[in-house]
Amino acid sequence: MMIESFLERATPAWMDMEDDYSDIVISTRIRLARNLDGFRFPLVFSENEALQVEQAVTHAIQDSSKLQERYSYFSIKDLTSLQRQILVEKHLISPQLAKKEQVGAMLLSEDESICIMVNEEDHLRIQCMTASFQLQKAYEQANKIDRALEGALPYAFRDTFGYLTSCPTNIGTGLRASVMMHLPALTLTGQMNQIINAMTRLGMTVRGIYGEGSENLGNIYQVSNQITLGKTEEDILADIQSVAEKIIQKERQARSKLMEKAELALEDRVYRALGTLTHARILTSEEAATCISNVRLGVDLQLIDNIKATSLNECVVSMQPGFLQHYAGEVLPPAERDRARAKMLREALFLETKSKPIIGGKGEDSYDV
Amino acid sequence: MICEHCKQRNATVTVTQVQNGQKVEHHYCDVCASQFHPFHAEFKQEPVSIQQLLSNWFGSPTWQKVGEKQQAPPQQQTCPQCGFTYKRFLKEGKFGCPSCYDTFSEHLPKLFNRIQAGPQHIGKMPGAQNNVFVIKKQIEDIRKRMKAAVDEEQFEEAAKLRDEAKNLEQQLQFEGGDVS
Repeated sequence: MMIESFLERATPAWMDMEDDYSDIVISTRIRLARNLDGFRFPLVFSENEALQVEQAVTHAIQDSSKLQERYSYFSIKDLTSLQRQILVEKHLISPQLAKKEQVGAMLLSEDESICIMVNEEDHLRIQCMTASFQLQKAYEQANKIDRALEGALPYAFRDTFGYLTSCPTNIGTGLRASVMMHLPALTLTGQMNQIINAMTRLGMTVRGIYGEGSENLGNIYQVSNQITLGKTEEDILADIQSVAEKIIQKERQARSKLMEKAELALEDRVYRALGTLTHARILTSEEAATCISNVRLGVDLQLIDNIKATSLNECVVSMQPGFLQHYAGEVLPPAERDRARAKMLREALFLETKSKPIIGGKGEDSYDV
Repeated sequence: MICEHCKQRNATVTVTQVQNGQKVEHHYCDVCASQFHPFHAEFKQEPVSIQQLLSNWFGSPTWQKVGEKQQAPPQQQTCPQCGFTYKRFLKEGKFGCPSCYDTFSEHLPKLFNRIQAGPQHIGKMPGAQNNVFVIKKQIEDIRKRMKAAVDEEQFEEAAKLRDEAKNLEQQLQFEGGDVS
């Protein structure tokens, strides 16, 4: 497939799914880091080594009869910086891979749920994504690919240290499981710091949606395991599962507490956010992210019933700079982007809400008019 | 900005502490920062980068003092495949190649005990290694049973077990595993 077809859709087909957890969990991702013995890691390898690794991995993937999916291959250096930025905004590749000047490639499945990164920090990173909270399903998918490739590729593995990786934080299983969650009530009630501290003690991390160092834009957090050695894959997944379930439970409790104690204030917040999104002419990414988060909370609490959570997921992705410029078909300076963002969100949500006027909500009854 | 502890070097590390609900920021150079206990310091950049962590816990300032007694300081070892020294590994926070793990194997369990759940991999293995592992376990088990049989003077049983172990050892050699 051409790269354009992957860039056009803000959210892939696999995201369009709702289940019992979709009020809080946006997506689940599993990543396995693998390297080939006999080659230096991407941090220091030569271009020749990079090429050999890339060829070995690409052939193993494309020739494997055990893999059912078809993969499209893209060399990073052949993509424009805008195209790379969009791939990062869609979370298909890491910012680190996007920055590669000479080496680096990705193999993408048609539905975009699998992306195999070549020569990022490690020779091979198998990444599988699912909508909502499905750790087991994502892991099974990644494991299947790993098992299919291990026969064809000389994995760097030692009995003691497991799968060897460039960074010591990934050795052993090479497994990173992440759950992306929308936690507005825990943030609003000031409980996030406490949760982040507790998570660190449990060997897990909470980050912004763009990974290490990124802010928690729009109250979206990524919960993932930090420990990869000394635990089995099953233990790591079970730990993340139970911690994520605890957070979901706490977020739900915080939401019902808010509804109980401050329903009108909450409703006001939700509708003001909707008002901004549907009427503003200039929107920075911070303001847009906050408003989308508040509207999403309103949808989840059934204060708003004519907007789908999946449409808001799409807004989260497409309001980013790369997407906006792709949508506009030109390079936009920051001020122009804020205008384009407001226009895009207005159009997206107007279409969504035009079938039904936005009225109602219990708050209105309380006004003494 | 100058380090508020030694008041000499440039401050490169910001430490944020929460005291009675108030955020207090401290600025230290990496030498002074590395001497503070890591659990009392919450670094501003979340999460702490692996380089910072390594140089805080395993960096040269504290080691030079303790390390004088050690026979071969790990910093001196050089990986034959990529030329990485242990010092460079600490500086980069990353290894140069898979062989680094063999070169520095002696010093790694100590490090992994700190940053991981333990020093030993107990998870999944590539298929071929998995077979080797299973066979090794079987041989270990048979040897134990053999010893018990000898202790109980059941020599016929012991001889049977010895042959079984021999067969498995041959199979292990065929799979490319180390028999010892």
